[in-house]
Amino acid sequence: MRTHGRLMIFSLVACVGYTLAYYFEWSLFQYYFAENSIGFWEQGGASGPPILWYGWLATAVLAGAVAAAIVPTRWVARLLPDLLWLVPVVLIFAALMYERRWFM
Amino acid sequence: MFTTLLLFHSLVSVALLGAITHQAFAVVASRVEVRATTFISRFRSTDPAAYSTAIVALVAVVIFTGGILYPNYRSIVRPALQALDLRAANGVFEIKEHLSAIGLVLLPAYWASWRQPLVPEYAAVRVGLTWILATMVWWNFIVGQLLVTIKGPF
Repeated sequence: MRTHGRLMIFSLVACVGYTLAYYFEWSLFQYYFAENSIGFWEQGGASGPPILWYGWLATAVLAGAVAAAIVPTRWVARLLPDLLWLVPVVLIFAALMYERRWFM
Repeated sequence: MFTTLLLFHSLVSVALLGAITHQAFAVVASRVEVRATTFISRFRSTDPAAYSTAIVALVAVVIFTGGILYPNYRSIVRPALQALDLRAANGVFEIKEHLSAIGLVLLPAYWASWRQPLVPEYAAVRVGLTWILATMVWWNFIVGQLLVTIKGPF
């Protein structure tokens, strides 16, 4: 049950972390596919455009892992059961709103 | 290599689509009495818990292979979409990226909510996360097929 709680805390925080990561461009690293290289700081134009998605995902996983390690699992029983599906629904809606720029 | 991986990615996606759709309808049906007499009721009357581990594995494989294919999309498909001024096609793929990431990080919670014995307090979580994953899988599958149709597999 404790493990279940930690897994749920991980998912919830990682979900929020991913949304913040792409919104604020908090990418743990950038992958420059033209050069097949990884950079931790933004490189010049010669390297081509970076892929940030891997870095956003890494940021989210890191945030989730830290939260799962430090947040007390008793919070799960109080808060998580409803938040666990409501929060992702809100975050998906936020992603749709964020990407509507492509359809205007 | 790219085409082989794309085919593998698509085939695993089809398996995932079947499994998650079965589970999504079954998890709703299990709350009411289902008399398995028609195709629809038989489709819904399976044990939804039996699919969870397979779904976790299939989602992980599909997103992992998608992640390997992603640089090819960025270097080949996306410039083609931009050249054709297909902004909406670009946009639906951006949404696919976000849904994939959210789906991936939700897997631990999804897996925990389906562990046996099923915890009654997590009933709403099971239904919610299963339908979120099902929506993600259907969206990603349709968008993937749409882009392959636009650009072609080669």
